[in-house]
Order: sequence, then structure tokens, then C-alpha cells
Amino acid sequence: MTVLVLQRYLAVGAILFVIGLIGFMTRRNLIVLFLSTELMFQGIAVNFIAFGRYHMGQGFFHGQAFVVFLLVIAAAEASLALGLVVLLFRRRNTLDADAWRELKG
Amino acid sequence: MENLVGVKLAYLIPLLPLIGAMVAGFLGARWLKEKSHWPIWIGVGLSAVLSFVLLFGMIGKWPGRAVAVQKPGEEASLTTRVLSTEFKAMAVSVNWYQWIEAGDFKVEAGALIDPLTAVMLCVVCGIGLLITIYAAGYMKGEKGYFRFFAYLGLFIFAMTVLVMANNFVLLYLGWEGVGLCSYLLIGFYFEKPAAREAAKKAFLVNRIGDFGFGLGIMLIFVIFGTVSFFGNGPGTNSGVLELAIPGGNFLGALEPWKRQAIPWIPFLLMVGAFGKSAQFPLYVWLPDAMEGPTPVSALIHAATMVTAGVYMIVRCGTLFVPNSAAMFTIATVGTFTAIFAACIALRQFDLKKVFAYSTISQLGFMFAAVGLWSPVPGIFHLVTHAFFKALLFLSSGVVMHAMLGHLDMRKMSGLRKVLPKTHLLMLTGCLALAGVPIFAGFWSKDEILVSAWVYNKGIFLVLLFTAFLTAYYTFRLYFRVFQGPVMVPTEPAEGHAHGHDEEHGHEPVDEHLQGQAHAAAEHSHEPNIMIWPLIVLAVGAALAGFLNWPEREKSLGGFLGESPSLILAHLATDARYNAAYVLPVPFGAEEIHDAAVRRQMHSDHLKVALLSILAAGLGIYSAYSLHLKNRSRGEELVARYPGLTRALEAKFWVDEVYQAAVVEPLRGLGRLFYAIDRYVVDGFVWLIGFVPQLFGFTLKLSTQRGSLQGYAVTMLLAVVVILLVLFL
Repeated sequence: MTVLVLQRYLAVGAILFVIGLIGFMTRRNLIVLFLSTELMFQGIAVNFIAFGRYHMGQGFFHGQAFVVFLLVIAAAEASLALGLVVLLFRRRNTLDADAWRELKG
Repeated sequence: MENLVGVKLAYLIPLLPLIGAMVAGFLGARWLKEKSHWPIWIGVGLSAVLSFVLLFGMIGKWPGRAVAVQKPGEEASLTTRVLSTEFKAMAVSVNWYQWIEAGDFKVEAGALIDPLTAVMLCVVCGIGLLITIYAAGYMKGEKGYFRFFAYLGLFIFAMTVLVMANNFVLLYLGWEGVGLCSYLLIGFYFEKPAAREAAKKAFLVNRIGDFGFGLGIMLIFVIFGTVSFFGNGPGTNSGVLELAIPGGNFLGALEPWKRQAIPWIPFLLMVGAFGKSAQFPLYVWLPDAMEGPTPVSALIHAATMVTAGVYMIVRCGTLFVPNSAAMFTIATVGTFTAIFAACIALRQFDLKKVFAYSTISQLGFMFAAVGLWSPVPGIFHLVTHAFFKALLFLSSGVVMHAMLGHLDMRKMSGLRKVLPKTHLLMLTGCLALAGVPIFAGFWSKDEILVSAWVYNKGIFLVLLFTAFLTAYYTFRLYFRVFQGPVMVPTEPAEGHAHGHDEEHGHEPVDEHLQGQAHAAAEHSHEPNIMIWPLIVLAVGAALAGFLNWPEREKSLGGFLGESPSLILAHLATDARYNAAYVLPVPFGAEEIHDAAVRRQMHSDHLKVALLSILAAGLGIYSAYSLHLKNRSRGEELVARYPGLTRALEAKFWVDEVYQAAVVEPLRGLGRLFYAIDRYVVDGFVWLIGFVPQLFGFTLKLSTQRGSLQGYAVTMLLAVVVILLVLFL
């Protein structure tokens, strides 16, 4: 893999990350917010994979290994977060994040 | 020397009591309980056996004759000769391991074994063993029984380290260790406020002394570059005590400021000795220390720990002897303490307090002796004093036990019928302390008086008068408590917490007052476990005087004279000290063979002995006439001099002076420091803490508003800022 190809992958990762970021900051729906964070995760994962592939010739597999962890953690987190969202919805009958403003310290 | 069994096993002497203390301390509370004395008995007992094996091994190697090597005008070659050959005969330095190594500062953990150490070890372990046996009877049924024995074992460990150390730092370790054990044991009854206060007082007063001692050791290291007494063993000529001999190459090559600082070393060391051995300005802790259990008073505050100062000065003789100002200070302070404490003892009513002041006074005698550079009489008196003062303290412990915790001699009388065995034991101790011929105290006090006679008639007169006072207050106590009509206290003393009351179901004492002599038989006030060690001590108190008799060359004096410390100190002396009188071996030999000197010496000895017998007899007679024949006469005499009596009863107001001159100003200073700390320093710290708090508070109001997106934006901005800071 050349630097040029690497840059394309990195660009894809960055775009994914920024889309997630913007989504997180503009939307109110808890499920969509969660979705946006997942999107940011994937952007980072793409970065890892790209770098991992780039350095593979030198015998490094750290990027790939890290992504495996990342996916596992994301899956675990997804089950937890979605469970939470269901609970929150049952309490307030809405998915709007602003409904929980009083939780500020 | 190196091949002696005693030397090879010397490391066990401090180690065994330490192991015993650890066993008693860690297993005592739960498992050993009433048997907690066993590990200490075994540990100290084996140490005592090893000490005597060491001592007799060394005596076996000792030629026992004076080696004449000194020729006038041949001092320099003498030094080299002594350091190379004869010197090694009776001393060996054993290094166990490198204890501290930091740059130039090297400290070996090791022992210097010479006659002085061997004698001290036998005193510490031998008397320590007797007292631990006694203590098992005395402390029976007390709360914290195991704790008491663990502390005792720890004390013996520290004390043996102190007397075996081959360098100043290890000596200091033992020095502080015995101080710690003294503190712990004085405060053994820590539920009693008086005991707590006494423990604190002892600790703090000793801190003053130890501060000086510590500074002295630092100065020694700065000047000599080593802290070992004798370099890498005696004879290598690189230790502090060898380098400090005046006229040597080392002192000549020193930088001027170091040479000027040398005279301060003995003064700093002296402060430590004054604190530990309760000499005049720093003696105030010792009378209060009697709050501790009686075996502690006997072991630590009479026989062993308080003599550490005397031992230290004798050990470091070469540092002290060339400095006549320091020697004069020691002799003067010792003499003054002797008479001062003896005066206070005249009008004390508590048995243990009388003996406490008597101990201070006798320590004053020892300091006077070493101050006149008579180390042999000083150490000799240390040994005999250890016997008879331990005996006296332990006997008064038996009295206290039997008298329901009372120690006030106004409340008891005629106890010879109630406590017949104790009476005889106490009488032996009193005769020894008063300096009656045959008994130990006479011989050693006489030696000190002879050296005072030779060097300084003023000191001699004061000490002779003190000997009279000693005989008087000793027999005042004896006649009041043991002679006369029988009187026994009926009410238990406050805070008398001895288990034996419950065990025996103590019947009212009035009843057995009727039966007087039968009282003791009904239930033993004198348990065997407490009486047997006392009998051994009494034999010592009666006969220890013969250790230095008949010929000093072949007895304790000659043996101690083989110690490198004494030999080197002798090399460091000048004409001020006449070797024939105080240091008969090996250098004085020729002079002693000089018939005229010998005759003069005999006549001096005879004169001094007659005078001291006279003083003792007079003291005993006045005690008899004032306190036995006609007890009201004593009170009349007291009434005639109310001012003097008040001064004596108030102990010359020394405690009050300390309170006003030291304690209160220090307390004021403490309050000032507290105020500064509380308002200035704390205020500043609070201000520093307040700034971020304020910042956080504003931030909280402005940013923390509960909207998720808001937090996300803040986080993003923060990350961007951090990245910018990091990479731009």
C-alpha cells in the first residue's frame, strides 16, 4: 500500500468521523445520537485498519488487533446503550435528549 | 582472641533477647499470656551465659601482669608499638555486615569486644536476668504482662548493642533504643496520668541530651571522616579514638577550622551523657521515672541504662582527656550532682524517690571519677552500684507489694517483723550504699575518693560530705521502715493494681497486725521467685568490692586497663594524671614499683579509707539518733530550719524553675507557631485553593447546563485547543 492509497482511506475515515460528529451535535433523538457515535467509531476503525495495512510489511498487526477489540466493545456498548435508551423512553415517553436536562450537576 | 567461643558467638548476645522480645511481643497477647516471661528468660539467660563465657574466656587469655612499656621521652614510638602488638592482645573488632554506605559515610554493624565491653555485658545481662526473673513474680496478674516482657527484652537488646558497638552510629542506635524502652516502660501504666507525664518528660529531657550527642557524632564524622572507634579493628590506627590522640600526624594535617572545632566534640558528647545519666541540669526526668514498675526502676533507671553516659565517656576517653576544660566540667557537674541529689534525698518520704535521688547522686560520683580521669574507679563503682542499687529497688518493690502499694515511709515502720527476709536484703543494700567496709559500695566509693584526693581536694571534700549524707539518708530510710514499732498501712494505695490482692483474698491488715510476726507466714508476702534473685544480688552487693582487690594489677582494674580505650586515653593524657593512681596497667607499672610512690599511695588510701569510714559511721549514727532512738528529735530539728526544709521538700524548686523558664516560654512559642500556622500559612494555602474553586464555580454556571450537545461542543473545542497547543 502506498502513501497515496493510505491517504484515501484516511480521508474516508475522517469523513465518517466528521459526519458522526455533526450528527451528534445537531440531532436530539437519543437513538440517532447513539448512531452518530457509532459512526465516529467506525471512522476511527477505518483509520486503524488503514494504518495497520500500511505497516503490515514490517510485521505489525496492532491496527487490526485494535479494531477487533473496538468492534467487541462497540457491540457490548450498543446493547447497554440501547437498553438505557429504552428505559429512558419508558420514563418520559419521548426520545428527546433535552427531556433529561435536569440531570446536570 | 578471635578464636574464643565467646567472641565467635558474640552476635547472639544482642540477638537472643531481641528474638525473645519478638516472640513475647507477637505471640504473647494471644498464645503465651501468663507464660510470656519464658522467651525473655531464655533469651536473656542465654545472653548472660554467653557474656560470662566471653568474660572468662578473656580472663583466660589475659596475662594478668603489668607490661612495662613506657619510657620517658619515648611516647611516639610507644604509640606505634602499642597499636601494633600488645594492644591487640585483649581487644577484637568483629564486623558483621556493612550497615550504611553512602559516599564517604560508611558504617559497619559490628562489635568491639574488649575488657570494658565484657564487663558491661556481664553487668547488663547478669543483672538483667535476675531482674526479669524477679519481674515474673512482681508483675504477676498485671494487664499487659506480655507487653512488659517484650519491652524488657527489647531493652536488653538495645543495651547490649550500646555496649558492644564498634562505632558511634551503632552506639547511638543502642543509645536511642534504650531511651525508647525507658519511655515505653515508664509509661507502662499508661492509664495513670502521672505515668504518662513521667514517660513524656523522660523522653523529652533525653531528646535534649541526645540532640547534643547526635551533633557530636556529626562533628566527629566531619572532622575525622569516620565514625569507627578503632578503624577496621584495633591496631589499624584509623579510627576516631586513635586519630584523636594529640601530637599525631592526623591532627597536625587538619585544616585550621577543624582543629578549632575539635574541643567542642567532648562538650557535645557530654550533653548526651548528662541527659542519659541524669546529671545536673538534665536529671529531672529520673525521679519521675519511678512511676514505672519497680523492676524497670531497678534495671533501667538504676543499674544499666543510666550508666550509659559513664560507659560512653570511658569508651571515648581519647576525645575527652586532652580537653581539660571538658574534663573539669564533667568532674564539677558530677560532684555538684552528687551533693545536690543527696541533699534532696534527705527529705524524701517515698522509698523509690529516695533511691532515685540516691542513684542520681551515685552517678554523680561516677562522673566525678571519669571527670578526674579515673575510669577504673568509675566503672568499678558502676558495677558495684548496679548490684546494690538493683537490690535496694527490688527490695522496696517487695515492700510495696506487701504494703498494698504504699511506699511512704511515714506510713510504715518496724517491717523487720513483717518481712524478715526483705529486711536482711535491704540491710545489705543499705550497708553497701552507705559505704560500710566489706560491702561493695565502700571499696568503689573509696577508689573514687582517692582519685579526688589526689587530683582535687575541693572535689574530695564535697564527695566526702556527700558520702556522709548518703549514709544518713540510707539509714534514715532503713531505721524508719524496718526498725521501731510495727506499723503497716491498712488501706490499699490508690492505683495499686497488683493481682495478688485478689488471689490471696487479702484479709484486713489490722488482723495480722495483732499477730505481727505471724503475718508474713500466713500468706507469703515474699514469694520465692522474688526473693531468690535478691539473694544473688545481695551476695553481689556484699562481695563485689573484692573484684578490685587485693592487687589492682591483677583484678578488675588491671583487666579494664587492657581495654584499648583506656590505653589510648592514657596515651592522650599529659602529666595532669598520675598513672600510678588510676591506671595501674600496663603503663603505670614502673611507677608503682617505685617504692616512694607506692608508700605515698598506700598512705593516701589509708587516710581516705579512714575518713570515708568516719563519714559513713557519722551518717549512720545521726540517722540512728534522729530516726530510731528518738524520732521526735528529727521532727524538732526539721521545725527549727523551716526554710531549709521547705527548699529540700520542694527539691530546690528545680521543676518549678524549668516550668517557668523552659516549659512556659516554649508553650508560648508553640502557641505563636500555632497561630502563624493557623492564620498565615493556612490562610495562604486556602487562598491558593480558592482561585481554582472560583474558576470552576463560574464555569459551572456558564457551561454545565444539561444539554448533551453543549457538552459535546465543549469537549470538541477543548480537544481542538489541546491539539493546537500540542502541535503548534
